[in-house]
Amino acid sequence: MESHSPLYLFPLPRKTEERPIGGQHSLGFYLHGIEGPLEDDVDGASIINEDPGDFPPETCPDDLQISYHDCRFIERLTISEINTHTILSLTTGENSPENLEIFQKLRDRRRRERLLEANDTETNWCDATSPNPSGRVRHRSRKQTVNLHEVWNWRELGHGLKSPGLGRRGSSCRRRGRQLEPRRVRRDIVGRKWREVRELLQKNRPREEMSLDRFLFTNLADRDDDIAKVEKELSAEEVFARKKIKLAEVGMSLLEDPESNIKCLKELLHICNEKDHNIAKLGLMSLVAVFKDIIPGYRIRLPTEKELEMKVSKEIRQTRFYESTLLSSYKAYLLKLIALEEDPSFHCVAVRCMCILLDAVPHFNFRENLVAVVVRNLNSSDDVVRKLCCETLRSLFTNEGKHEGQVTLEAVLLISELVKAHDCHLHPDILEVFLSLKFDEDLGKARPKENAKVSKKKKRKKYLEQSNQLPSTDGKRRKHELMTKTREELNADMKSVSFTPDNDERRAAQSEILSAIFGTYFRIIRHCMDSSLSRPMLNDISSIRLGQHPLLGPCLTGLGKFSHLIDLDFMGALMGSLKKLAGHSGSHCGSTSNSLTVSEKLQCCIVAFRVMRNNLDALNVDLQEFYVQLYNLLLEYRPFRDRGDVLAEALKTMLWEGKQHDMHRAAAFVKRLATFSLSFGSPEALAALVTIKHLLLRNSKCRGLLENDPGGGSLSGLVVKYRPDASDPHLSGALASVLWELSLLSKHYNPSVSSAASSMLSTEGMNPSQTQAFLSTVSPTKAFEDLTTEQELFKAANKKFSPSRKIKSGNEFVLMNAEDVRKIESVVDEDVVEGKFEEHFKLLKDFDENERLRLELDRTSAAIRLYGEYRQQKKLKRKAKEDKKRKCL
Amino acid sequence: MGKLGKKARKFAKKKLQCVMRNNRKFKSRFKHKAASVNKKCRIGKSDSLSSEQHFEEKSVDNTIDAAAFSNCLDNIYGEDDVDLMENGSEDESIVLQDSDCPYISDVELDNDKDSSEHAALSENNKDIHIKIVEKKQKLDRLLKKVPKFSKFLESRRADLQKSKNEDDSDDEGDTNYLNGVSTSEEHLNNRRVINSCTVDLWCWLVIEQPEGPALSNLLNVFQAACFYGFDSDEGQLHEFSDKKVFSKVLMFVLSEADGIFCKLLGVADSCSKASILKSMNTSEWENVRPFLRSYLKSCLLLLNQVTDGQILIFILSRIKSSIAFFAAFPSLTEFLIKILVHLWVTGEESLALCSFLVVREIALKLHSNWYDSCLMKTYKAFIGHSKFFEPGNHKKMDFLQNSIVELYSLDLQISCQKVFVSLQQLANILSQTIKTMKKDELKKIHNWQYINCISLWVKFIVCNIKDHDLQRLLSLSILIINGIAHLFPGLRYLPLRFKCVQMLNQLSFSSGVFIPVASFIFDFLDHNENITDTTRVKSCDFSSVLKVPKHLLKSCKFQEECIFSAIELLSAHFSQWRYHISFPELSTIPLILFKRFHEKLNNEAFRRQVKRFIDQVEQNKEYIERKRDVLSFSPGDHAAIDSFLQMEKSGCDCSFSKYYDSIQENSRSRIAQT
Repeated sequence: MESHSPLYLFPLPRKTEERPIGGQHSLGFYLHGIEGPLEDDVDGASIINEDPGDFPPETCPDDLQISYHDCRFIERLTISEINTHTILSLTTGENSPENLEIFQKLRDRRRRERLLEANDTETNWCDATSPNPSGRVRHRSRKQTVNLHEVWNWRELGHGLKSPGLGRRGSSCRRRGRQLEPRRVRRDIVGRKWREVRELLQKNRPREEMSLDRFLFTNLADRDDDIAKVEKELSAEEVFARKKIKLAEVGMSLLEDPESNIKCLKELLHICNEKDHNIAKLGLMSLVAVFKDIIPGYRIRLPTEKELEMKVSKEIRQTRFYESTLLSSYKAYLLKLIALEEDPSFHCVAVRCMCILLDAVPHFNFRENLVAVVVRNLNSSDDVVRKLCCETLRSLFTNEGKHEGQVTLEAVLLISELVKAHDCHLHPDILEVFLSLKFDEDLGKARPKENAKVSKKKKRKKYLEQSNQLPSTDGKRRKHELMTKTREELNADMKSVSFTPDNDERRAAQSEILSAIFGTYFRIIRHCMDSSLSRPMLNDISSIRLGQHPLLGPCLTGLGKFSHLIDLDFMGALMGSLKKLAGHSGSHCGSTSNSLTVSEKLQCCIVAFRVMRNNLDALNVDLQEFYVQLYNLLLEYRPFRDRGDVLAEALKTMLWEGKQHDMHRAAAFVKRLATFSLSFGSPEALAALVTIKHLLLRNSKCRGLLENDPGGGSLSGLVVKYRPDASDPHLSGALASVLWELSLLSKHYNPSVSSAASSMLSTEGMNPSQTQAFLSTVSPTKAFEDLTTEQELFKAANKKFSPSRKIKSGNEFVLMNAEDVRKIESVVDEDVVEGKFEEHFKLLKDFDENERLRLELDRTSAAIRLYGEYRQQKKLKRKAKEDKKRKCL
Repeated sequence: MGKLGKKARKFAKKKLQCVMRNNRKFKSRFKHKAASVNKKCRIGKSDSLSSEQHFEEKSVDNTIDAAAFSNCLDNIYGEDDVDLMENGSEDESIVLQDSDCPYISDVELDNDKDSSEHAALSENNKDIHIKIVEKKQKLDRLLKKVPKFSKFLESRRADLQKSKNEDDSDDEGDTNYLNGVSTSEEHLNNRRVINSCTVDLWCWLVIEQPEGPALSNLLNVFQAACFYGFDSDEGQLHEFSDKKVFSKVLMFVLSEADGIFCKLLGVADSCSKASILKSMNTSEWENVRPFLRSYLKSCLLLLNQVTDGQILIFILSRIKSSIAFFAAFPSLTEFLIKILVHLWVTGEESLALCSFLVVREIALKLHSNWYDSCLMKTYKAFIGHSKFFEPGNHKKMDFLQNSIVELYSLDLQISCQKVFVSLQQLANILSQTIKTMKKDELKKIHNWQYINCISLWVKFIVCNIKDHDLQRLLSLSILIINGIAHLFPGLRYLPLRFKCVQMLNQLSFSSGVFIPVASFIFDFLDHNENITDTTRVKSCDFSSVLKVPKHLLKSCKFQEECIFSAIELLSAHFSQWRYHISFPELSTIPLILFKRFHEKLNNEAFRRQVKRFIDQVEQNKEYIERKRDVLSFSPGDHAAIDSFLQMEKSGCDCSFSKYYDSIQENSRSRIAQT
């Protein structure tokens, strides 16, 4: 709703890469030294076709090859598409290839002249015949002329903007297409569309008024009131339409030629201050579109006073003016946005605008402010806004090339500050953002060696140079010094010009980001541990809404993902806290010492295992405590409340992937998992069975569980009898038990579960050599996923039923008691029925009678009523007669 | 409603065709203006209107619940009407042809006024009559007083009538009523008044000599009787002098017609379909066919019109005995099935049962052609009817489910595919919902319609799985039930989940497969908070709700219901496997959790119940363990495991089974209390 931007409808010219005025690049370079090839300085004319950055250069006219399709396109263009007077007048009859050549020559010349041109009068000429390899423009423009309503369909527009993914995709498409399109064509078509829209708008208005008039005349009763109201409305509507047109005109002129029309930005800014919210929103959105397009690919630095004093050429002055105006308007616009963000009715639009800007121009000035606002809104209670901000940050993190990774660091730091400030009571989406961060692992290792090499080389060189230098003369030395000096300068320049930032810098930034992330993670974990002792403030609404530890889930996921990057120093502390978090209170009754859910505890265990595996493979620390937790958590698991996939993941990480297990522990887990699968659903059961099978295959001694061996107790060690409710796997005495569960499980309704169980019971099933293949393919998580209800339902829904075996049919009652049923019929007494028939007849007859009598009554009373009428008529006649008489008299 | 009204009007127009036709016929002959007959005309008009209204009501009645599932039923309805009427006109011409039958015409029109038991309507009639008399007198006085007025009245009468006419019948306003008047006048003269002597004579003649002309006359009269009050009585050529005559005709024809037709066709008493089909080609059949058709059609019309339960049952039982005749008249059969299904769904107990029996008879006797239609129509009607749950509805729902199961069990070859398709549809809805998890999608699952459907098929499977191979149906239904239970976590949906457990238990019990249900019950054990709210809540019956209202969640009654239901369901589960060798393991986790729950409970009565349950389970567990300790075979030995404790299984002196019986007894008494 808020995003009413007519400017989105026509193809927007892309950024600065195709800026026609050449001085700007050189100026940009001159001022900031970061962009543009060096030679631009020397010959301004030659750079017109050169694009900075990674965009391919505009097609050079000499390289252009006109294909058959192009000609066809132009033909079609001239025949069907030309509806603007200007084009029509200039291009009729010029649709042959020869004309094209002429045109190209013209174009060539024009390119040379372009520098000097302030306002090009030949634009249309060039536009109409310029080859368009893709034909996109034409297609698009036709679509836009379809109808006016589509053009002004605000909601649609808003919707299009609301889905950020879509918008981005669209823009990238546009960019791809645009790279091939000459800019002028677009500009002109933009302009044409714009004019058409305007005409249509004006044409449409009278009709509306007419219908309104008709409406007015039909309602004569309370006309005065309505007229006033409608007039007011009408005028408001008119004003609205007029403003829209104005907005469109200004926007168009800006896009057509930003250099000369840069002042229009002020005008647009002024529109944003309108009282009418819709207009203001429209203005905001239009400005976003404009800025997105005209902001250059570099940062603008305003000239210092000293520089201002210097005498400069006309072009440079012009560019300076342009840049300073742009910057100041941008600043004013941002200030406006930041102010409006507080306003609830503008909140959504303002945030959206800022997200678009941050996504499109993260390199430009004032980005810090943008990042700050977007990060702040990550915790917004509005789902749409939050998702938008998340999406923006994600795209920032993934497309680091746009801003050289600096914004990433800023955003991460801001988020960690936010977490700190809110005491970990924030929406989990905030931390989800971190998951899309990418770290270049090679960066840390490969670089130092290279450095060393370089330094070695340098040393050698220096030595050589020095040895060379010694015998040289003074003049030579001076010359040499000069050379080295210039070379160094050149190097420095090159370095600053090149886009790829120094690896060292990147590494530093990365380590900073990492430390911020882990700082945040550790803060959350610490907070969870603290708050388990002291409950959070009850009056905090957000904490109630979000649950007790909203950030723990994504935090653990993040730790799992980045566990290989954790510094060894933190490892000990981290494991300690994880142990505590996963901690089991020991006693089942009473309040548990911490308030984590089962899924979260399981996640803690998983993270601990991951961390250990990734970092301390050599150390071989036994994670006994976590095993104990898992052993007990199996009893706490509830299929509706807790996440089954996490459980399967835990089984996979801790038991299935684990190393050789202690015999007692393995047996205890086997027994408990078997018991577990008797009570829970098929996905959990199958995950457990897969794990059991794996454990049995790995531990040959545990296979004794499958045999009912009276002497099995000899292995059981301390505990002679199995204790199912023991909380420590070592003390359960599971080795003394027999896996009777499997016999019941082989009757399981689910074929996969029953076959898994019976395969374990069969003697061949437990032969390690045969089942190796099966074992390596199916993990507990996979097994769990396969059997989730959704999957199963999907499978079942697509099957066809084929009556497999002979099905006999019977005539007997299956459910009902045949005797009772048959009795019903004999109940009916014929005499009673006869009586009922008589009653029925009488009822019907009475009904008829009633109907007839009523009619008669009506008729009679009508006749009587007529008498009154008759008398009145008589009276009138008499009166008339008397009148006549009187007249006669 | 607007649509229906229109349809009904159309129908009435069709219905009145004979009248209209007669109108046209007599138009040329009578062109005199007869003011005095105007009155009569009005009657005719109003009668037709009343019948129209009548029908309208009826059709609304018919379609109101049927409209729930599809529009197609409406269409079927329309077609049927057209069918019946078109064929009807043809029929009439056949049946009406002979009149060389003795006819006693001593009219003894008795006034019904003496036996006025029908208080309301008769009283009303009397009142109106008195009023008319008063008004007439007044009018007469006026006419006498002002003689010129009568002239005026005469001139205005036409206007008066016309305007009224337009008021009454909106699209038949242009009919020339004057002609109509004369028609009806003529018609009335043509009508034969049937008195009891005639009927007696005809009945006797029919019995003595079925081939004679009396049968056609009698059937004509029967048709007239069936149409009486439904159609305008001007359309009929017979008038009944007496209510006795009316009922006599109906009773005689209804009870004897079947036998007479059998005799005419020369088939045995028990009219089987085969013999009917055999006689289809004979010349006798050609003769009898119109009579048969007239009889069956009239029966259906009567069935459609009468509302009294006992009459309906009587007619149904007669129709059932001559169901085989319907094989020759598909359109009538379709109409019959529709009426039957409607009566089955909406009728009260015995009527519903009766109509179901007729449906079943059709499914049996006219199997090849009509079985599919019966299955579909009943299932659709069931779906349409199972949307809401009313407290008194339980029994009816049960009955409907049972009868559908009966019907579907007749021929599993055909019905299994239908059941599978229906289950697939349910599964599709479920998987859609799981994917989107939207609120209105969830509502599609969480309603009685869905639950009733799935429980219907569970019943069907439970009934038939012992004798037939229904593995596919079984696994699909288990999947769906599991999915439902998973979709709705939380304490409020406990009744729904317990229903699912119940169904799973039934399936497991009948099929012998193992279905773990314990985990469905666990989650409420954790939810146990100390209930302080002991306010008197009336009751909290899980069988009548799917979702517990919020205010009940903390009530004592709710907890009680939870505990009792949980214990009942779990002990049903355990009692099925009480002699299985792995019973100790099966009960391990539930026991641990129930023990914890027991420790937390503070209500003494509940504690006792839970304790008893725990003790019983442990006792059984120890018993199995003791027996198991002396065994020598391993879990891999399936045959040995299957034979384990088979002896004990057959006898029912186990303490746990006794306990389970007592639990069931308890729950039954609890339901009875509420």
